[in-house]
Amino acid sequence: MRLIYLCLLLWLPPTYAAKAEQPIRFGLTAVVLTENLRFLDQWSQYLEQKMGRQIEFVLRKSYREVMDLVTAGGIEFAWICGYPYVQKRTPESLELLTVPVYRGAPRYHSYIIVHHTSPYNSFTDLQDKIFAFSDPDSNSGFLYPLSLIAEQDEDAETFFRHTFFTFNHAETVQAVSEQVADGGAVDSYIWEYLAIFRPDITEQTRIIKKSPGFGFPPIVSRLGVDHTTVKLMKQTLENMDQDPSGKRLLARLKLDGFAHYSDSLFNGIRALANTTKRNNLLSNMIATD
Amino acid sequence: MQLTQPKTWPLAIKLSLTITTVVAAVGFMIGGVMIVQDWKRFHDVLGEKALLLSESIATTTPKAMLRKDYWQLYQSLKNMASRRPKSKGNHGVITAMVLDAEGRIQAHLHPADNPMGLPFSPSNRLEQELYEQAMSTRAPIVISSDSFSKTGFQEGVVPLFSDQKYLGVVRVRLSIAQLYEKATSTAILILALIFCFVIIGSALGTIVSRRMVKPLTAVTQGLEAVGRGEMTDFSPIPVKERDEIGRLSVTFNQIMAELAEKKMLEEEIAMNEKLVALGRITAGVAHEVNNPLAGLLNCIDTLRKHPNDKDLIDRYLPVIDQGLHRIKEIVHNLLVGLKIEGGEESISIQRIDKLHDLITAESGDKDIDIIWVNNTDQNLHIPSKTEQIVCNLLKNAVEIVADGGTVICSLHQSGPFLIIEVSDNGPGIPSNIRNKLFDPFFTTKPDGTGLGLWIIYRLVQSMEGVIEIKSEEGQGTTFHVAIPVITKKAA
Repeated sequence: MRLIYLCLLLWLPPTYAAKAEQPIRFGLTAVVLTENLRFLDQWSQYLEQKMGRQIEFVLRKSYREVMDLVTAGGIEFAWICGYPYVQKRTPESLELLTVPVYRGAPRYHSYIIVHHTSPYNSFTDLQDKIFAFSDPDSNSGFLYPLSLIAEQDEDAETFFRHTFFTFNHAETVQAVSEQVADGGAVDSYIWEYLAIFRPDITEQTRIIKKSPGFGFPPIVSRLGVDHTTVKLMKQTLENMDQDPSGKRLLARLKLDGFAHYSDSLFNGIRALANTTKRNNLLSNMIATD
Repeated sequence: MQLTQPKTWPLAIKLSLTITTVVAAVGFMIGGVMIVQDWKRFHDVLGEKALLLSESIATTTPKAMLRKDYWQLYQSLKNMASRRPKSKGNHGVITAMVLDAEGRIQAHLHPADNPMGLPFSPSNRLEQELYEQAMSTRAPIVISSDSFSKTGFQEGVVPLFSDQKYLGVVRVRLSIAQLYEKATSTAILILALIFCFVIIGSALGTIVSRRMVKPLTAVTQGLEAVGRGEMTDFSPIPVKERDEIGRLSVTFNQIMAELAEKKMLEEEIAMNEKLVALGRITAGVAHEVNNPLAGLLNCIDTLRKHPNDKDLIDRYLPVIDQGLHRIKEIVHNLLVGLKIEGGEESISIQRIDKLHDLITAESGDKDIDIIWVNNTDQNLHIPSKTEQIVCNLLKNAVEIVADGGTVICSLHQSGPFLIIEVSDNGPGIPSNIRNKLFDPFFTTKPDGTGLGLWIIYRLVQSMEGVIEIKSEEGQGTTFHVAIPVITKKAA
């Protein structure tokens, strides 16, 4: 009989352990370069070490797919753009966790770029041209240029002769540098990041317009994730600048760190989203899945 | 041997040149076929590759087109192009594009010059034709241009369908530059091999033809030596093979040996004949001189015994005189016959005509009809010795014919020869003595010396002429003489 108990004791803990060891899933798009898989391994190892939990980065092509994962409960945390963050969802499925600090502030810009040899010097010069958007759920890569068209009282559907989505800010830069598109809208953080690691690409482009500062793409947590995990993740990220290995990782990301900011940081994007109608446009620009 | 006249070239050279030409012709023909086949194969492979690349693009294109994912279209073209080597002489992608059903660019490998959304505009007439071909096809095809130049290309064209609806076309164009270089280097290699092959072939051909022709050359040289009459210094052709040429060499060696032997025999016979002739002359002289000498010595002996017998003196002195004159005549004729030389002097043909009167006088009381026919040009010049020949022949004829007989002397020119025919209707010459007629001291006349015809024969011979006799017993005799005329008037 004692033997049976012993067996039960030996058998039960792994079951609990398995439950406890459910990995924390962290959804990402190309906020950073998706090909930096080795970096993601190192980051996940760092987080695992700090949090004592297994971390799994889940990579998706578009913000839409990441958002779907959040809504479906497929991930616990996500690094998304400010635009999907401010969109209204019923019921709300996520909350702001922490915001990256870039060059001393939690802000970034949208750059309107053209090929360095092109004759275009303003956004209006790009009318009737080919334009590359990054992601239909991107603030800097889609919402901002749409707002610029709206400012001109022009129809977003017909302003450009031809448009396409690259679903990746870095590839938008590439599309412009290779003259597939006459102009493109990109995240300033990504453009600057590329300017350091791939100057051969950014040198082929020229910034003709810089947007006002917007709240930097935040880290969000899914509503329903247990409070301890959320707190642990927030602490771990915000303390990354406190230890050398965390600093090394932040240096790789060209970020100063993560910090707590209020939701009002994204009011700028929220205002932009309210004034810009994009839904009708989307159906003509892209056949969404 | 004249270089400009191949017909005079030695057989060894002609044979080796022929072998070289044949080897070269065959070699270059095979090489040409190989190069063309090689090129065709490379070309087909490149076409298949272009089609394969187009098809690989076409698998994902319809979906991306429907999703308007132009960036993915462009990237698939770019990835496909960058997978191929871009280093020197690549047969990489020159261009690639996806066009929709209306010919609008959906993606192009060179977007700066071919902006998406605009209709594709062919840059020239050829491009226009290719574009129309690509747009009209509803099945995958390979189209190409400038197949044999560095700038040529092969293009794989794959039409796009979604649910049987035509969406557009994928065009992937591969340069044949690398193919061209590959084919060129292969062609150079083949040509170099053929060149070596030709050199080796011609060298072997030369060796073989020389070996084959060597016995023939020896045979030719041997025959040329025979022509010159030199046979003694002939060295036999070495016989190594038992083929036709070997057998020819053996036969030739035998013939040459026999000819040399025959020549030696002829020389011996000639020497013997000379000795025989000398003996005959010596015997004749001895006989002809000795006979009168015996009579003369008898007469002198008788006169010595009867020194005062006047009748005897009157009777014997003419006999001694006659005998001594006969000896003198024989010696003189012998000297004439033996001392005949070239005789460069020439006389006019008219001098011969004068002999007509002389012979008429010579015939004396005989009633002989002398018919004289001279059909030659009166300005003709002939060797002076001819006069003596005609004179002697006429004297003989007049002497031989009976009273009332006829002697005909006919002269005419036949080519470079003066033909003299002296005929009589005398008793003729018996056939058994005809071959002795020209021997010295052979005579049928009781008081003849037998040197007249011998002298004629010697004279004709000295002028490189010909003398023949036609005679029938009881019918008469004709002497036929041909003497070369002197074409240039003598001084």
